[in-house]
Amino acid sequence: MATTTATFTLSSSDILSQAISLSTTANLYKDTTTATGLEQMNYHRAIIPTGTNFDLIPESAGLENNSNYLYVCNKNTDVTHYVTISIGAEVIGSLYAGDWMFIPWSNDVSDTEGATDPSGNDTSIEIQAFTASNTIEYALFHVGETLLTAGDS
Amino acid sequence: MATTTATITLSSSDIADNSMSISNTATLTNAGNDTGMTKTTGLTRVTLAATTPVVLIDAGATTRLNVITRGKMYIKNLNARGDGSKFVTVEMDAASPVEIGRLYGGDWCFFPFDGGAGNDIGLDPSDATSTDLEYIIFYE
Repeated sequence: MATTTATFTLSSSDILSQAISLSTTANLYKDTTTATGLEQMNYHRAIIPTGTNFDLIPESAGLENNSNYLYVCNKNTDVTHYVTISIGAEVIGSLYAGDWMFIPWSNDVSDTEGATDPSGNDTSIEIQAFTASNTIEYALFHVGETLLTAGDS
Repeated sequence: MATTTATITLSSSDIADNSMSISNTATLTNAGNDTGMTKTTGLTRVTLAATTPVVLIDAGATTRLNVITRGKMYIKNLNARGDGSKFVTVEMDAASPVEIGRLYGGDWCFFPFDGGAGNDIGLDPSDATSTDLEYIIFYE
C-alpha cells in the first residue's frame, strides 16, 4: 500500500471581524479498510479547447462505488478564463484561472437510470472550457480502473 | 474586498517510484475578475443521525443562496474512520440526486459550485451512525 495525504489550509484575515484559519489532513484510503492506502493514480496535464464538453475522466466499472479522489487545477492566468466541471448533466461548478478543486468521486455507474441517476448511468467527470483554451492539471487517486482489452489481442 | 486563500498539498513518498508533491494556492475571487469574495456562511457544524438524505445547502428560490453565481464549498466528515465502511455521500441536485463522492471519516472536499435552482448540495449518510460534519461556503 501507499501513503498519500491531502492537506487543506484555508485562511483569511479580513472576511470576518476575526481571522479564519483552518487546516486539515486526510489520508487517501481504500474503501472498507481501516488504513490501507490507495496505490494507483493518474496525473495529467491537458489543454482543453473551447466549444465542446469533453469526458475528462471516463467512468470505469473498476472505480464503481468506491473511494476515489480527484484533484483538478486550472493553470491559466487570465481571470476571465474558466472551465465547468460536471458529472453527467449536473454542473458541479466553474473553475476559473488559478482555481483548484478536490473531491471524492464514487463513480456511481451501477445505478440505473431513474431517481438516483437521471443522467442515465453517465457519471464520467466532464469538462468544458470557456472564453479560451484552458490548461488543466488533474490527478485521480483510485482503487484501480478496469483496463480495456487491446483491440488487436 | 477580502483576501481568502485556499491551499492544497497532495503528497506521497511511495505511490510512485519518486516522491510526489502537488501544491497549489487559490485566492477566492468573484467570477471573471480578481475581486476577493466578501460573503461567507461562516464555519458550521451539523450532525446527521439517520439514513435519510438531507439538503445541506438549498440553492433554490427560497434561500439567500439563490443569488449565488459562484461559490466555494468546504465539507469535512469529522467522525473517526473506523473500519472504513461508513461514509456520507455528497450529492448535487436534491430533487434528482447526482453523486459526487463519499466522505469517509476524516475526509474533506473543496469545490466550486454555481448555485441557483437545481444545484442544491445534499448529504446521504450510509447508515444511521451519528456523524458530525463541518462546512463553510464563500460566495459572491
